[in-house]
Amino acid sequence: MTGRRAIFLTARRELRERARSRAFIASTVVQVVIVLAIVIVSSLTSGDTESFEVGTVGSGPAGVAEAAEAQQAAFDVELELTAFDDEEEARAAVSDDEVDAVITEDAVLTRPGVSDTLTALVQQASRVVTGSESLSSEGLSDEEIRTALEPKPLEVDEVGEESGGGVAFVSSILLYVAIIGSGYAVATGVVEEKSTRVVEVILSAIKPVHLLAGKVIGIGLLSLGQLLVIVFAGLAAAIPTGALDLPDSTLPTAVLIAVYFVLGYLFYACAFAVTGAVVSRQEDVQSSSGPLTLVLIVAYLVAISAADSPESTLAVAATLIPPLAPMIVPARAAQDALPLGELALSLVLMALATALLLWIAGRVYDRTVLRMGAPMKLRDALRLARRS
Amino acid sequence: MLRLDDLSKSYGKTRALSGLNFEVEPGQMFGFVGPNGAGKTTAMRIVIGVLAPDSGSVWWRDSEIDSASRRRIGYMPEERGLYPKMRVSEQLAYLAELHGRSASDATEQTKRWTERLGIADRRDDKVEDLSLGNQQRVQLAAALVHEPDLLILDEPFSGLDPTGVDVLSEVLIAESREREVPVVFSSHQLDLVERLCDAVAIVKDGSLVASGDVEELRRERSGRRWRIELEGDGGWTPSLPGVRRAGDDVYELDDGTDPQALLDEARARGAVKSFTPDSPTLADLFRDVVAEDS
Repeated sequence: MTGRRAIFLTARRELRERARSRAFIASTVVQVVIVLAIVIVSSLTSGDTESFEVGTVGSGPAGVAEAAEAQQAAFDVELELTAFDDEEEARAAVSDDEVDAVITEDAVLTRPGVSDTLTALVQQASRVVTGSESLSSEGLSDEEIRTALEPKPLEVDEVGEESGGGVAFVSSILLYVAIIGSGYAVATGVVEEKSTRVVEVILSAIKPVHLLAGKVIGIGLLSLGQLLVIVFAGLAAAIPTGALDLPDSTLPTAVLIAVYFVLGYLFYACAFAVTGAVVSRQEDVQSSSGPLTLVLIVAYLVAISAADSPESTLAVAATLIPPLAPMIVPARAAQDALPLGELALSLVLMALATALLLWIAGRVYDRTVLRMGAPMKLRDALRLARRS
Repeated sequence: MLRLDDLSKSYGKTRALSGLNFEVEPGQMFGFVGPNGAGKTTAMRIVIGVLAPDSGSVWWRDSEIDSASRRRIGYMPEERGLYPKMRVSEQLAYLAELHGRSASDATEQTKRWTERLGIADRRDDKVEDLSLGNQQRVQLAAALVHEPDLLILDEPFSGLDPTGVDVLSEVLIAESREREVPVVFSSHQLDLVERLCDAVAIVKDGSLVASGDVEELRRERSGRRWRIELEGDGGWTPSLPGVRRAGDDVYELDDGTDPQALLDEARARGAVKSFTPDSPTLADLFRDVVAEDS
């Protein structure tokens, strides 16, 4: 049998068994629900055109309500007008929350905190109406009045708004969860095979490096699939609801998330495989992979601070340090704060480090996976890897 | 033919094997016996390639064993090894494919062996949900499912109930007789080894102390043991030098001691009802050779 077939068979087993496991299904559902919840909450709190119910009393100040209606688009709101017979009734409707505001002869009635936009709109409408009344009495034509009172609005150019900070934050957390989850799955998978001794049966048929490669590839593909499901669920919900005004950097960021997931996952999966191979019992994995988990947590914390100040020295340094780069590079890219040169250098360093770790992990795994007994010191394991 | 040639292996300062040699013929049922820690498991692990010897080699069909021929070995480790959460049929098919079978072959053989070993109704269960006896049957199926050319089984009978022992015995005999597959298995159940095996190897402290055809070994050692039944009290101790009691009415003679002299002493004590050569059981042989060397 070729090595490729051995890798295919072991990878397929990992994929099938894990995709069916309750833990995997639960973690996918939970993450999708969290992402959807974030999207839905932000769609309720921002973005959409607000709509208000506004009452008028009697005739009101002539034309104010109509003027307000005419300007609603400029204020990005929608008004629905209701007429009340007297002020008493209108006042009760405001305090009972039946309408958001009432325009009377000489005032706007509203509840505390309803909307500054709404009151500003009504004030503006009133200014236009009274202004045009007095200008008209001065003998100006309608055309002249319109030019005077409704000047062409200033264009708003959104500079630096939608900084991509949100996307950066989400990409860091997604990568952190995906890498730590799949890395830990590799470590426990390696130990499961050791502790149940099934590894002896498997390795009587195939080479250790093929078993390891199949496991890493299988778990990696599954995690990548899970990541894509979560990202697409989020995007699918975000785009129609208009919850996120995604910045232009979203697509390149998504590509970088995928690239750095693959590199970061391979890097950490190899390291986690070693922490699994040096112990023989499931309960020893936690302590043997402790230092590695710590590195990941530090990388995550640096990534969060890089999302705040993507051009700081810390962020630049972390970009060039392979164990830290996976969570930081997409976070910086999301904010357009990653020079192409730094990205290229980071990719080269990350690829080199990953290749080196693949080689070391393959050798350590090969020499430790059949070893039973007390946990091995990492130093001793690495010494074994040096031996031919 | 399988040949272990001068295998040595040490774990640190502990010497597990020191120059172990033996041969297994095609179609032979071969018992591998020895006290705990004698090196049986180490030797088997070297044959299947999960352990490398410090020196020596393993030969299979006239060439040194390699990974391609090792993939044709059916192996059952002493400490059972299966994925606990994987379903029986998927696990067996997976292992068959790892050993080079096609997917359809793997499915077919899985079906066949689960039926043969009486676990057909447990195919869709996870291994961890089976009783220990049934898990053992799955483990055996895992060794057989890829139709191996050679079977290496470490303590395959331990933990089986009598029905399980019968089923396993039948299967192993059929594999060795019908498919000419050499079956090497270790066991402490010496009566079972004696009943099933054509040949045995007895090891102690990492080297061979006796090997060959079971009948021949027994014959070699017969003539050294005699059973004497006396009228009345049987519990006497001969004064003849070079003789010791080896059980009720059984006496073992050192080389060069004349059995007739023992008979003379017995007759002096009373009427001799019977005087017969006692051929030793494998357990006797085992005790003898293991005790002799120490």
